[in-house]
Parts: sequence; structure tokens; C-alpha cells
Amino acid sequence: MKRSLTLSLLLGVTIFAADYSSVIEVPDAAKIIQEDLLPPMGVNKMPQGCVTSDSKAIARGSYMFHNLNGGNAKGQAPEGLSKKLPNGKDKQYGNCVACHNIEGAIGGGNIGPDLSGYTEIFVKTGVRDAEYVYQKIADPRIDNPHTNMTVNLTTKLFNEKEICEITSYILSTK
Amino acid sequence: MRKILQISLCVVLASSLSFASEQFAMSNADRAMYEELMENNPADMMLSNGSELLDALGGDAALAKYLGLSEDELPVYLAGFPRYIEKFKMVVSIDQMLQAFMHESGKKPYALKSSDMFDMSSYVKSIANEQPINIDIEANEHMKKAYALGKEVFNTRRGGRGLSCYNCHNPGVVGGILRTQPLPDISAKGNASAATWPAYRMTKSKLATLQKRFQGCMQNALLAVIPLGSPEMTALEVYFTHEAKGAVIALPGLKR
Ligand code: HEC
Ligand code: HEC
Repeated sequence: MKRSLTLSLLLGVTIFAADYSSVIEVPDAAKIIQEDLLPPMGVNKMPQGCVTSDSKAIARGSYMFHNLNGGNAKGQAPEGLSKKLPNGKDKQYGNCVACHNIEGAIGGGNIGPDLSGYTEIFVKTGVRDAEYVYQKIADPRIDNPHTNMTVNLTTKLFNEKEICEITSYILSTK
Repeated sequence: MRKILQISLCVVLASSLSFASEQFAMSNADRAMYEELMENNPADMMLSNGSELLDALGGDAALAKYLGLSEDELPVYLAGFPRYIEKFKMVVSIDQMLQAFMHESGKKPYALKSSDMFDMSSYVKSIANEQPINIDIEANEHMKKAYALGKEVFNTRRGGRGLSCYNCHNPGVVGGILRTQPLPDISAKGNASAATWPAYRMTKSKLATLQKRFQGCMQNALLAVIPLGSPEMTALEVYFTHEAKGAVIALPGLKR
């Protein structure tokens, strides 16, 4: 796991002649990047009772799937889901539709596989199960260290409950 | 003084529109606006402002002299930025070089993020119009290091969604659709980012430099935004510029 940028490399480039340091702007970014790095993947077991047919939970999952963030999402957020974080900033959602098509997607992308008819096509055929879906969303490096997909639990973008809601939405009949 | 590149510009833009999945690229209204702006890129005005700002410092001639070049040598030299400049003991982009030039001309340097600096540095890069990008990452240890750092920054997963630049800008996903936008090929000859930025960004109604565009992707993809001119930003520019090596500079670009 590449946990740190090669520090020696950073230092090597940062050193410059003192005479120009007050003239040419060379702000530091190494620290910003260091603090922003993706942590290694943890063990992401699907919690008990994760997948549900509760329509309210599925509505929240759907909303997080289809929207980018609370500031940009149209309409009211479903019951139990906020558009803002406690600190007043917009809550980020999954924006999954940027890369995936699914039932009712508006402008669905094709960077990731089409998730339409997921249960019929992938689960009933024994190719995938709920545990896989949960783990893939939590941290897609689970079966592909070079994945282009977003990381959702390790980054703390979502908590376990929210990942369960998104999983439930994907597995639901739409 | 400034070469206007209507014809070559049109070729570049036409090719950038011909993505496999072009129906996704723009709404009809946006496309109509784009075609209109192609006739008359608003960034032309900003570059003429930049040209005037440089004139106040003695113009192209004074800049060439400052760099120890003849005016004829200036375009080819500028097509090689970012470059290591011995006097500064670091790899710099054009805007940083201009900060030193301003200082040594007895003026207070514009801040990197100021619109005057965007205008002036964009104008100065456009002096290299029609030149192929000739950055040399093997020129010395500093350039080698900057390239390596740029590549590392490009490939580093970070931020709220754990993405790297590479995740959206790799050969496997180029042309794929990300929320209705085709992912651009950042090294396609003739559409190479480093040869077409600074550009007028239609959706922002602003002139933006390549580094500013990097910040845009960082913001959108939830990577912590790093400051213009930081060694990591300059290194990213080195990386992108090397990817576009050989591509003919055609500025200002016009982007969605
Ligand atoms: C930036 C692109 C991108 C985004 C955003 C994205 N994904 Fe993915 N997704 C992928 C790719 C690519 C794959 C293919 C597997 C891989 O490369 O890891 C994938 C695979 C999956 C799979 C596994 C499908 C299968 O059965 O093989 C699921 C489930 C999934 N994504 C759900 C989501 C959810 C839910 C979100 C939002 C929280 C999301 N994805 C956001 C790109 C993305
Ligand atoms: C989640 C996907 C994603 C990530 C991550 C991403 N980009 Fe982009 N990038 C895009 C898309 C989509 C476009 C085209 C947008 C448009 O047409 O306006 C783009 C466009 C660009 C362009 C302009 C290309 C041109 O020539 O017009 C540059 C430069 C760029 N990205 C650099 C970066 C850098 C540097 C990073 C990492 C710090 C990065 N991108 C991360 C999706 C991404």
C-alpha cells in the first residue's frame, strides 16, 4: 500500500534558492496531500440485518445513488437523510450514476458496469451476493486493487448504515 | 504581434468534438454557443490584456532579453515550460518565471491566482503558438524529479472519494461516459491538454490556466485542492506537458 508520497522526492523539489523565495510563489502542498491520502483497506464485513426491504431505507439509498451532494440534489431529501452535515457543509452523496446506469438513471455513465436488474442478472444466477455488493461499495479494492471506482467506507464518505441502504437499493426490485 | 490561429484552432476544436460518444458531450444549446464562440473566443480579449500588461514591462523584447534570448528564440523556448532555471534553482512554470521578471523589472509581481497573472501568463504562453511542445524531462535531475513527482501526484488516490487523476484519465476509460461527459484523452495529439490550455472555459465564463483546470478536477472529485505554483502543481504540469510533447500549441483554447 502506497501510504506516503516519497518524501525525499518532495523535499528535493521544495528546496530553492533563498533569493527568489520572496519573489516567486511556491506554496507547500506536500502536507495537504499527506493528510488527504487514502488509507489502506480495512476488513469490511457486512453488518447483521444490513439488506432490508424497508422502503424508507431504500429511498435514502436511491437518493444517495443518484445525487452528487446535498447542494446540488433536486427536491427534498427522503426522511432520515440530511442535505447538510452538522458543520453546515453540504453532505456528499454517492454520485454512483456518474459511472453506472441503473433503472431510472438520468445521464447514467458507463465507466462502471450497468447495475440495472441487478438481483435478477447477478444474484439469482449466483454470480454475486449481497456481501459482495456491500464490500464493493465500502471499498472497491476488495477484488481489484487498481479499481477506478470511488471508495466509500474507508474514506468515511458514508457510514455502514448508509452503505447498507445503498446496497438495499441496488438489490431491490425497481 | 500575436499570431491569431483561427484555422489551426478550428482544427483542434473540431477534433476535440469528435469523441466517439459525441452526443453526450454537450446539449444543443451549449453546442450552438460553442460554435459561436469558436468564431470569436472571448479569451482573445484576455490575452490582449495580457499583452498590454507585458508591454508595460517592455513587451516580448524585454522578456526575451531577461531570459537571455533573441526575440526569435523566444517561441521555441516558451514551448519548453515548465523548465528548470538555474538562477531560480527550481523548476518553474511561465507564471512563476514572470513573477521573477516583474520583480527584476522593479514591479510588484502579480499573485499567481490573480486575473492579471492569468491574462499575462496566457499571453506569454501564446507567443509559442504553432510551436510543438518541446519540454525535456531528461534535461537535468530537477526535471527528472519533477516529472516523477508529477506522475506520482497524478497516480495518488486521495480525497473524499479515494480517487486519483489516473482513475478518470487512463487509456482504459478515455471516451467512457462520466455523468454525461466523455472522459477526455489528455495526451491525444492535436487535443493535448497542455497545448490547448490556457483556455476559455464556457461553463465558467472564464479564462483558466492548466493548473487552474487541475484544481477544478480536484474540487469536483473531492481531492483536497492544492495551491497554484506548489512543487506538486508544477510537477503535475510537467507531467501533462510531457504527455502532450510534440503537440502544436494553439492558444487560447476553448473548452466546454
Ligand atoms: C468513478 C467511477 C465510479 C463511481 C463514481 C462508482 N463506481 Fe461502482 N464501479 C466502477 C467500476 C469501474 C466498477 C467495475 C469494478 C472495478 O473496476 O472495481 C464498479 C463496480 C461496481 C459494483 C460491482 C458490480 C458487479 O457486480 O461487478 C457495484 C455494486 C458498484 N460499482 C456500486 C457503486 C455504487 C453504489 C456507487 C456509489 C456509491 C458507485 N459504484 C460509484 C466505477 C464507479
Ligand atoms: C471523477 C473523475 C475525474 C477525476 C478523479 C479527475 N478528472 Fe480531470 N476530468 C474529468 C472529466 C469528466 C473531464 C472533462 C470535463 C469537461 O468536459 O468539462 C476532465 C478534464 C480534465 C482536464 C481538461 C482536459 C482538456 O484538455 O480539456 C484536465 C487538465 C484534467 N481533467 C486534469 C485532472 C487532474 C490533474 C486530476 C487529478 C488531480 C483529475 N483531472 C481528476 C474527470 C476527472
